[in-house]
Amino acid sequence: MSALAALTLVSQIWAGLSASDRPDETAASAALDALPAAPAPSLHIGRPEHLASGRYLSRWTIVRTRTIARTEPVATSSPVASLATATPDRTPNALTVLRTTTDAAGQLWVKVRLPVLPNGTVAWVRRHSLGAYQTVSTHLVVDRQRLRATLHRNGRLVFTAPVGVGTDSWPTPAGSFLIRSELTRYASAFYGPVAFGMSARSAVLTDWPGGGFVGIHGTNEPRLIPGRISHGCVRMRNSDILRLAKLMPVGTPVTIR
Amino acid sequence: MDRLTSFEGFLTSVDRDGAIAETRALADASVSRRRLLGLAFVGAGATLVAGVGEGRAASGLSTSDVSILNYALVLEYLQASFYTEAERGGALTGKTAEAAHIVGSVERAHVTAFRQLLGSKAVKRPLFDFQGTTEQPQPFLKTAVAFEDLAVAAYKGQAPKLTSKAVLAAAVGIHSVEARHAAWMRGLFGITPAVNAFDQPATRQSVNRIVASTHFIVERPEMRRRRKPEFTG
Repeated sequence: MSALAALTLVSQIWAGLSASDRPDETAASAALDALPAAPAPSLHIGRPEHLASGRYLSRWTIVRTRTIARTEPVATSSPVASLATATPDRTPNALTVLRTTTDAAGQLWVKVRLPVLPNGTVAWVRRHSLGAYQTVSTHLVVDRQRLRATLHRNGRLVFTAPVGVGTDSWPTPAGSFLIRSELTRYASAFYGPVAFGMSARSAVLTDWPGGGFVGIHGTNEPRLIPGRISHGCVRMRNSDILRLAKLMPVGTPVTIR
Repeated sequence: MDRLTSFEGFLTSVDRDGAIAETRALADASVSRRRLLGLAFVGAGATLVAGVGEGRAASGLSTSDVSILNYALVLEYLQASFYTEAERGGALTGKTAEAAHIVGSVERAHVTAFRQLLGSKAVKRPLFDFQGTTEQPQPFLKTAVAFEDLAVAAYKGQAPKLTSKAVLAAAVGIHSVEARHAAWMRGLFGITPAVNAFDQPATRQSVNRIVASTHFIVERPEMRRRRKPEFTG
């Protein structure tokens, strides 16, 4: 039945009713008017929020259970490194997430950047060995030529400071790394008030305690900054490292060039 | 890393002064009281509860409503984070990717609205580990169906406990949106969108049990330590 035919039928039925059968339209209208108005909702739901481009976002995660990183996303591929759940600083072992894929058996694999030598090594890890994905919109760049560090958030410059970097004998390694820990309240004027652990490793000081990891920290010799003065770490004046600590979350990617 | 097993666990972990737990107990008590009264005095019951010391929190809301709204906010965080991670990950394609994009944008709007209403009383976003369910189409859809069905049942379960009609009006508006999402995801997953003549509400306990079984809410890893560095210097 078409909508028009249905409407006509309803009109005919309505007209066929005697006056006494019809509801009292006046009374019905009054009853409707007497109903209380619906309360205004207390929540204002705005427009749907579409994701921003994500251009400046990077993902990181932690090693949840000890695992083997492999050359390919296949269980039988060659092992590259064994990944522990904690760093030498006893913080969770953080990794940069590069991409994910699914193998022929339906298992998820994640391509990560490893905290091993040679710096820049990437490999595949089973997804179930890793923890939650977290994202940051910050990015630190250390320029060894200009002896300057700059921090960007969502692509905008939010911090810049002069730095000390490694000497020619103990160079600060170049590459893409990750801030993976923040150490504070230790008793060492040499490292200043705050020290950030990075996934970068010295290619020279491999027998250094903890494995020769390179960090970013304060100093008790601010007059040497800027300069080529360290064993590979990035040193800042204490006022600068304190300022940076308020701006830079763990998980921030670091480019040293 | 320890894994928090429930919404309750998360709310307790952020509820340092016990206010949420206290007001939730009050809210639950108020419903029990109404049940004892045969639901005859719903309006009067709310007044009675207010009269026995129920405080006012964000935007003039009762503390029991704040508790329920925070509970709903965690549910909205769960959904919004799930769809955001799926969209960012880029593993979905076609109609599934489109649904994730649209539903995610709505869930994020819900989060924003709840946070604005609750103000400083809003609980913080937990950390979620979706364990790869955002990275493959079928696990994504299966989880999305579970989340949306859960949200529909949870809103239905909490709505009768709300003391503010204005909050109830908002909750009903969100509830129907979640029901549309549930039908959409069910259709994409290949199961019947609507099978029941009457949907049962879910109690807070049953929602907790379901969420606990997923282990999706995890403790935020502690990346800061009081420890002397061993860096090369």
